[in-house]
Amino acid sequence: MSEKMPAGEERKVKFLGGAAIDGAPVAYIVVLAAVVVVLAFFPMSVVLASGGSFPMYQGILAIVGWILGPIAGAVSTGIGALIAVFLAPHTAVVPVVSVLGSMVAAFAAGTMVIGDKRKGWWFWVFLYGLVLYLYFIGRALFLNKIGLWTVIAGTFVDWSGILLFALPTRTLFAKWIHGKNWGLVIAGLALGTWSVFGLTHATSAAITYHMFNWPEEVWVMLIPMIPFENLMRVAVGVVIGGGVIAGLRAIGLVRPENSIY
Amino acid sequence: MPELIAVLKDVSYKYPRSTDFVLSNVNLEIHKGEFLGLIGPTGAGKSTLCMALNGIVPQFYGGRFFGSVHIGDLDTTEHPISELASLVGQVFEDPEIQLIATSVENEIAFALENLRIPREVISERIPKALSAVRLEGTEQKAPNELSGGQKQRLAIAAAIAVQPDLLIMDEPTSQLDPVGAEEVFATAHELNQELGMTIVMASRAAEEMAEFAHRIVLLSHGEIIALGTPDEIYSQIELLASNNLRPPQVASTFYSIRKTGIAVPKVPVRMKDATPYLGDLANLKPNPSFALPAPPKVTGEPLLSVKDLAHVYPDGTKALYGVSLDIREGEYVLIIGQNGAGKSTLVKHFLNLLQPTEGVVKVGGTDTREMTVSALARRIGYIAQNPDNQIFNDSVRAEIEFALRNLDYSPEVIETRTRESLEAMGLMDVQDRHPLSLPKGDRARVVIGAILAMKPEIIIFDEPTTGQDYLGAQYILNISRDLHKAGKTVIVITHHLYLMPEYADRVIVMGKGTLLLDQDIRSAYHAKDILKSTFLTAPQAVHLSRQMQQLNGNFLPLLTPKEIADYLAPEEGAS
Repeated sequence: MSEKMPAGEERKVKFLGGAAIDGAPVAYIVVLAAVVVVLAFFPMSVVLASGGSFPMYQGILAIVGWILGPIAGAVSTGIGALIAVFLAPHTAVVPVVSVLGSMVAAFAAGTMVIGDKRKGWWFWVFLYGLVLYLYFIGRALFLNKIGLWTVIAGTFVDWSGILLFALPTRTLFAKWIHGKNWGLVIAGLALGTWSVFGLTHATSAAITYHMFNWPEEVWVMLIPMIPFENLMRVAVGVVIGGGVIAGLRAIGLVRPENSIY
Repeated sequence: MPELIAVLKDVSYKYPRSTDFVLSNVNLEIHKGEFLGLIGPTGAGKSTLCMALNGIVPQFYGGRFFGSVHIGDLDTTEHPISELASLVGQVFEDPEIQLIATSVENEIAFALENLRIPREVISERIPKALSAVRLEGTEQKAPNELSGGQKQRLAIAAAIAVQPDLLIMDEPTSQLDPVGAEEVFATAHELNQELGMTIVMASRAAEEMAEFAHRIVLLSHGEIIALGTPDEIYSQIELLASNNLRPPQVASTFYSIRKTGIAVPKVPVRMKDATPYLGDLANLKPNPSFALPAPPKVTGEPLLSVKDLAHVYPDGTKALYGVSLDIREGEYVLIIGQNGAGKSTLVKHFLNLLQPTEGVVKVGGTDTREMTVSALARRIGYIAQNPDNQIFNDSVRAEIEFALRNLDYSPEVIETRTRESLEAMGLMDVQDRHPLSLPKGDRARVVIGAILAMKPEIIIFDEPTTGQDYLGAQYILNISRDLHKAGKTVIVITHHLYLMPEYADRVIVMGKGTLLLDQDIRSAYHAKDILKSTFLTAPQAVHLSRQMQQLNGNFLPLLTPKEIADYLAPEEGAS
């Protein structure tokens, strides 16, 4: 290939026109929604509290947010989860919670920005998660008289996720995902998925706990299970996310405006 | 001054994460109504230039873009691709990836619907587009039911239904058989001549481009290094050779003749332009030291024997009718015929992938029906058209070892044969790399290496030159020649007859499931009527030789430009 200096003026390159939502082409949104639907068919474990199972797509909700940005990501995962409720009901558990939780996860991930643009958006997600978490544990502690340490242990995924999301670790994980060092990309995907889904889990659990109000015995059984399930989401996120990011970087498609990969 | 339809000014482009410019200071004006040919070696930037004409580069790919491309008054970096799509249509190399609808008419309507063309206008344009590409009556057919040439014509119909000012065709015939390729070129020619459509076509089909293009652009390393009429460009044999491009064979023939010292007024690039010179050439005294090489004599029991083979597929399609042939050890056999002639069906019987409905196929004297596919795989290696379809391991070494492990060879044998294959194919340095990370030509070597590790007696190359540029095709065929010299029996199926005289000894011509001809390559290539019956055309050098035979009955039946030049070359010492 030629190394000559270009004689022409450099032009600003941007994807013009076409249908896009918040800078993400609709084609990308649709494709990732389809991926969510497909992964909905794969149950990842048995969730005792509500008798169903959680779908594999929960591992990629954060990735969708990192690829498309918060709004387009939420639209994509929301559409995917909504279709999945009908096509794969065995993993939908509580349909409204599935759809809402998917959107929250992708939105939260999309707010993990690096620069100044939308740098305050994370706070509102954090506030939403915190409020619902406090409702969740408040109901457990004060209404159902669940033991304090049981509640703390049982919500480890939630409070650790919210904490990592609120602290500067949020931006650190985003920088790792954006970077070229693949070890750090993987670490960012892993910890970012843990954090985002932890926060999301808090918001979803608050609703399902309000609905089902499980007793202390179930709390105790869930203490080891929920972190294990979240680790499985992290594994899915790392494996699929790593491959997707490597592929997107290799083929060099124009990035959605608010992506961080 | 002809009206301009597109202007590229100082265009340079670099893909994201690429260190080099793919296009470098390209300046080009495309005139309304012209048929502009775009040629260049692999990696020259032809596809990138095509995509720059409709904004896909740089809008879809990103990267760094310099200069400007105007389609009419529209700057392609300042108008959306959807707007440019109504002015510029594009047809890509592989017809399979362009068709997305469930019927022919839906395929044509798709772009029109997306451009919000009124329904009644769409209904008018569909039959017109089908008529322009001679696909009338196929409206309700599913695209997957069409032949390769028909699919590509459907892609053209879908592109022209939008009534673009400019139609870009990027290697539209490279995946097609000769019939399909001829159909596409005829369609493009008609669109240009009768409808006045401006066409930009990137193609390696030199003979056809010389025939139809008004101008040729030669692109190399992202720069335009030559621009002119086909006569001006295709007669510059050395320029083309230095860019790994093949000129029309009539041009290379006359160039070769000129190099022997024979005065040739000009190097024609079309067969019809050569006619005025043939009379004088035919009557030249032939070189007395020239002798036609005798076809090799192969004796011994047949290694592959087919007797009265007939095959009927489960859906009732009769694919082979009473085919009989023998292939002996050490032969290099070319099997030719149009799509649907039965070539692949025949070859699959050798591998016991298909069983005869009637007749017998024997390998080494044993009926293939008594042999397992794995047993046959030890004796017959098969390299498919797309080597990527045969690669599925994580490293080159693992790919080469795979069959050996599955056939329970001992670890020592596996190690020895793997090393031998890696060395033979020059893959030692990349043995730990993922095969798909290698360039395409190297991936073909991986597949060949994997097959060689089993030390088969027979190696079958199925369409190894389709989709390859000239250099890539020669590379693979040179490997086949090396294997032949090493004692292997080689069978090649290909449409590219012009490539084969340097390699094959014998030709089997198939047509509509029957064996039409089985002769040495010289006799087969000169069997004009047989080739015509199966929609094949001999290379231009053979046509030239035949025309000269008609003018001078003593003229020998020659095959290649070099043979013609050597035959006509003055005797050494003669003036």
